Amino acid sequence: MSEPTDHKNNPLADEIARLVQSLAAAGKVSLLGSPDALLLSIVEAAARIFGAAAASILLVNEAEGVLEFKVAHGASNRDLVGTRIPLNQGIAGYVAMSGQPIAISDVAQDTRFNQDFAKSTGYVPRSILATPLLAGERVLGVMEVLDKINAPSFGMRDMELLSLFARQAAIAIDQAQNIENIGAAMVLSLKRLVAADAEHPSDYLLSALEVKPDAENQNDLLKLVDLLNEFSSMGEAEREAALKILTAFSEYIQHQRQVHMGASWQ
Amino acid sequence: MSEEEEILPAYSQPFLPTAVRELTSSGPLAGITPEWAWGGSTGQGVRVAVVDTGIEYDHPAVGATVRGGVVIEWDESSTEKLLYEPDDQPTDVVGHGTACAGIIHSLAPEAELYSVRVLGTNMKGRAYQFAAGVDWAVENGMDVVNLSLSTAKKDYFALFHSIADDAYFKNIMLVSAASNLDEPSMPSLYSSVFSVASHAGKDPFTYYYNPTPPVEFGAPGIDLRVAWKDHAYVTSTGNSFAAPHIAGIITLIRAKHPELTPFQIKSVLWACAANVRRVYLKN
Repeated sequence: MSEPTDHKNNPLADEIARLVQSLAAAGKVSLLGSPDALLLSIVEAAARIFGAAAASILLVNEAEGVLEFKVAHGASNRDLVGTRIPLNQGIAGYVAMSGQPIAISDVAQDTRFNQDFAKSTGYVPRSILATPLLAGERVLGVMEVLDKINAPSFGMRDMELLSLFARQAAIAIDQAQNIENIGAAMVLSLKRLVAADAEHPSDYLLSALEVKPDAENQNDLLKLVDLLNEFSSMGEAEREAALKILTAFSEYIQHQRQVHMGASWQ
Repeated sequence: MSEEEEILPAYSQPFLPTAVRELTSSGPLAGITPEWAWGGSTGQGVRVAVVDTGIEYDHPAVGATVRGGVVIEWDESSTEKLLYEPDDQPTDVVGHGTACAGIIHSLAPEAELYSVRVLGTNMKGRAYQFAAGVDWAVENGMDVVNLSLSTAKKDYFALFHSIADDAYFKNIMLVSAASNLDEPSMPSLYSSVFSVASHAGKDPFTYYYNPTPPVEFGAPGIDLRVAWKDHAYVTSTGNSFAAPHIAGIITLIRAKHPELTPFQIKSVLWACAANVRRVYLKN
């Protein structure tokens, strides 16, 4: 990659460099490396806490009306990650759409039934406990634990505890998604700002800011970007003010994350 | 009872053996007995809708009593946002609705069952689809409606309230399971419905009245063997399975005393509750 040649004496470029660094820092704090690593650590903990042979998280894909396996841990005869299940089918679909947890066990042997189960869990479990991942009234997904190791079924205590555990997991997932969205929004807005800065064109910064925002969140992001562009088009002072606000917001988010991490996880 | 066994779904705590309150009945109400209320009844002639994931019409647990129903789908393209498709030989996409229907059939073997399938794929439309299902049952001549699902979405408070009141004034019994999670669940919170949570007993005719609502009735809902999709049976737990026990008993009462209104049937249920009659069965 060629050396940047045009960002010296460009206060905007300096601001952007600082923002990108702080965004990267915020991402590391909030996402434990990546969203999937966070989810995997959640299902591993769930399997251990509930004495389950397997555990998995499926997240709702609203646009396509499906649940998608994001992470799976433990016994399974195939790699489930990426597998999609219609929202109106099976145990996980029921949990997502009804917002209710369910525990079933002692499944009568039936070929058709087992096939249905294997399709949605990777193998035929003896017992299953599934609970919604709720952020307020919104269902983010479903957490499942399969095959209780030292008992024939998951009991009411397991259901109650998994619901509490899922609440924590949902907060983490929701916040990770929000940070991801905010990060993508900010980078996208900066990209537009840089592109609009005709006096100090910077291809280097533009390529550094190349991002592909999540299609689902595109509309929200674009609204934000348009708003920022509006400021930018008003003139130098306004654009700088907008950047200051973004910087302050970034710092605020980082601060909030630190406060939250301190309160919830230590 | 061990500590493990004492954990029940949300709203079920009033029905723990240590929490059930003995109540007193007097006057003519004390003369109402289960024998008078539903003795000899099979539920014949009563139409019962199960608003749920569907009913597997040929599952052995429902006999040959499924008469039809409807599938309600979310339809973004239409102004009504809903699509109604008649369902003459209903299926179940999960098994949950068949479980509920099987419990009702085991109590009221000659009742006619109707499947109202409302489990869709649209997250935003799911509560609306559910409301449409309850409304379909109210508008299509059902006598008893089992609602083993609920919504916690506050925006739907008024809509469900008006549908529940409509049912009440049309002498239609809405039987609503309380949420298994500790959250407000509609329509089970309304006084116009029969709200149900779980007790840990197994006798299908033993239920309790709770004098401190919102949940008024406690029926079996813990570790029950229930029918499931694809002619299967599973063991499951939840207020979902307590509601159809009360729906089944109401169906029996309705068949024997078709003139009774929802508040009268509530009084009959109260008079026959195990903690009012002070008759306790060993489960």
